[in-house]
Amino acid sequence: MFARAWSRLVAAWRRVEAGHDEVFVARWRQGLRREARRQEDTMRALVMLESLGVDNPVAYETLELIPHLVGELHEWHQRMGQETFGDPGVCC
Amino acid sequence: MPAIVIVLVVAVLFFFGYRYYSAYLARKVYAVDPAFVTPAHSMQDGVDFVPTNKHVLFGHHFTSIAGAAPIVGPAIAVFWGWGPALLWVVAGTIFAAGVHDFGALAVSVRHQARSIGTLASEVINRRARTLFLLIIFFLLTLVNAVFAVVIANLFVANPEAVLPILLQIPLAIGIGQYIYRTRSAALVPTLIGVVLLYLSIGLGQLWPISISGITAEDGFFTDRNVWVILLFLYTFFASRIPVWVLLQPRDYINSHQLFIALGVILLGVAVGMDRIVAPLVNDTPEGSPNWFPLLFVTIACGAISGFHSLVSSGTTSKQLDKETDARYIGYFGAVGEGSLALGAILACTAGVVASRADWKGLYSDFGAASDNATANFVEGIGNFAGNLGVPGAIGATFAAIVVISFAATTMDTGVRLQRYIVQEIAEIAGARRLSRSITFGSLVAVLLPLVMALLPGGGEDGFTFGVL
Repeated sequence: MFARAWSRLVAAWRRVEAGHDEVFVARWRQGLRREARRQEDTMRALVMLESLGVDNPVAYETLELIPHLVGELHEWHQRMGQETFGDPGVCC
Repeated sequence: MPAIVIVLVVAVLFFFGYRYYSAYLARKVYAVDPAFVTPAHSMQDGVDFVPTNKHVLFGHHFTSIAGAAPIVGPAIAVFWGWGPALLWVVAGTIFAAGVHDFGALAVSVRHQARSIGTLASEVINRRARTLFLLIIFFLLTLVNAVFAVVIANLFVANPEAVLPILLQIPLAIGIGQYIYRTRSAALVPTLIGVVLLYLSIGLGQLWPISISGITAEDGFFTDRNVWVILLFLYTFFASRIPVWVLLQPRDYINSHQLFIALGVILLGVAVGMDRIVAPLVNDTPEGSPNWFPLLFVTIACGAISGFHSLVSSGTTSKQLDKETDARYIGYFGAVGEGSLALGAILACTAGVVASRADWKGLYSDFGAASDNATANFVEGIGNFAGNLGVPGAIGATFAAIVVISFAATTMDTGVRLQRYIVQEIAEIAGARRLSRSITFGSLVAVLLPLVMALLPGGGEDGFTFGVL
C-alpha cells in the first residue's frame, strides 16, 4: 500500500514537472533545438569527413560513432531538403 | 481609499472588457474562425511551428511582453495624480492594447504567421518596411538608453542589489547548462536557482557594492554615468554570445520572478489594506509638463505598446493551435500587462509612503518624479512585502532585483534586435560589408543609446532624457 501511494506521488510529481516544462521551458524550445542541431551537424560532419574527401586521422575512432547517427539520419536528410535518402534500405 | 478596492474595481472592468468587448472583436471585427487551419498545423516543423495548448501559449506570450516598461511608465505618470494614470491604464488596456495585441496575432495567423514588418512590406509596399525598420531603430535606441539609466539609478540607490544581480549571471548560465546538457525537468533546478537568487540578497546586504570610491561627486564621471558606461560595455559583449547561454536561462528565471512579484503585490495589498495617499488629480507645480499628451507617451506598455505586435507576430502566431485562441492569448495577455501597470501605480501611490505630505515630497516636480520613479516602485513593493512579514530592506532589494533583471534582459534583447535592424538597414542602403559585420551592428546599437543616456538633463527643470 505504501509502495502504491509512493508511485502515485511520483507520477503526480512527474506531471507537475511536465506541466512546468511546458509553460516555462517550451518557450525556449526553438533556441535550444537550433543549438542542438548546430552541434549535431558539426559532429556529423566530423564523423563523415572521409566521405567528403577529407583525411580523417581519427577515422578508426569515429567509425564506431556512425551507428549512433543512423537514428537521426531521416530527420537530417529531410532537413537538408531531400525527401528520400535515395539509398534503399538505409532509412526510407 | 484602500488600494484593494481599486484592484477589485479594475478586475471587474477587465473582466467585462474580456468577456464582452473581446468577444465582439472576435465575432465582428477579426471574424476568427475555429475551422481555420493555423500555420502551427499547416507548417508544423517541431521547432518554430508547433501547435501549443492555449494556456501554455498564454504563459509564453505574457512573459515575453511583460518586463520593466509597464513598471517604469506608471511609476512616473502618477505625478499627474493616480486618477489619470489609472484611467489611461484601464481604458488603454480594454480599448487599445487588447485590440492591438489580439489584432496583430489574428492578422499574422492569416498570413502564414509572418512578422508585422514583412506584412507591411507585402500589404503596403517595400518603403513601408523600411519606414517600419527606422521606427523600430529609433524606438530601440530610446528603450536601451532608458533601461541603462533605470538600472544605473537603481544600482546607485540600492548597492545591496548589485551583488545578487552579478551572481544571477553565473547562476542563470549554470541552470541553462544543467537543463540543456542533462535534458532533465526544469522545475527542481529552477526552484533551487530562484531560492539561491533570493538567498543572495543576504550577501548583498552584507557586501553592498558601491563605485563611489572610483567616481567623482559631480562632473561627467558620476556614479550614475560610470554605471551606464559599464552597463553598455557589458551589453556589447553579452549581446554577442549565443542566446541560449545567458539570455534564455536568465529570462527563464525572470518569468518566475514576474509571477512572484505579481503575487507579492496582490497579497501585500490585500493583507496590508494600504490606503492610497496620492491625490486623485495632482495640482502640479508651475512649469511642469502638461499631462496631455505626455501621459500617453509615459505609459506605453500597460496601456498600449506597438512592441507587442512583434511578439504576437513573431513567435506566438507560429504556435497558435486554433484561430479562436487568439482572443484569449492576445487580449488576455494585454490584460495581464495592464495588471502589472496597476501594481506599479499602487506601489507608487499606496505602498511607497504613509501620508500625502510625504508623497508630495517624492513627487514635488516632474524632475523628481522621473528621477525617483523606479526607486519609489522598489520602496512600495518593499512595503507590500513587509505586509507579508518580509523585512523592509530585504523586500526593497527583492523589488530592485526584479526591476533590474527585467531591464537587463530588455537591454540585452534590445541591443540584439538593434544589431539586426542596423544590419538590415545597411543592406537596404547597399552597404553590404557593413551589413555583414556583427561588430559594426553592435557598435551602433550600443554607442547611440550610450550617448543619449549620458546627455545632461534639461537645465534647471531637468526633466529631459538624461535624468530619468
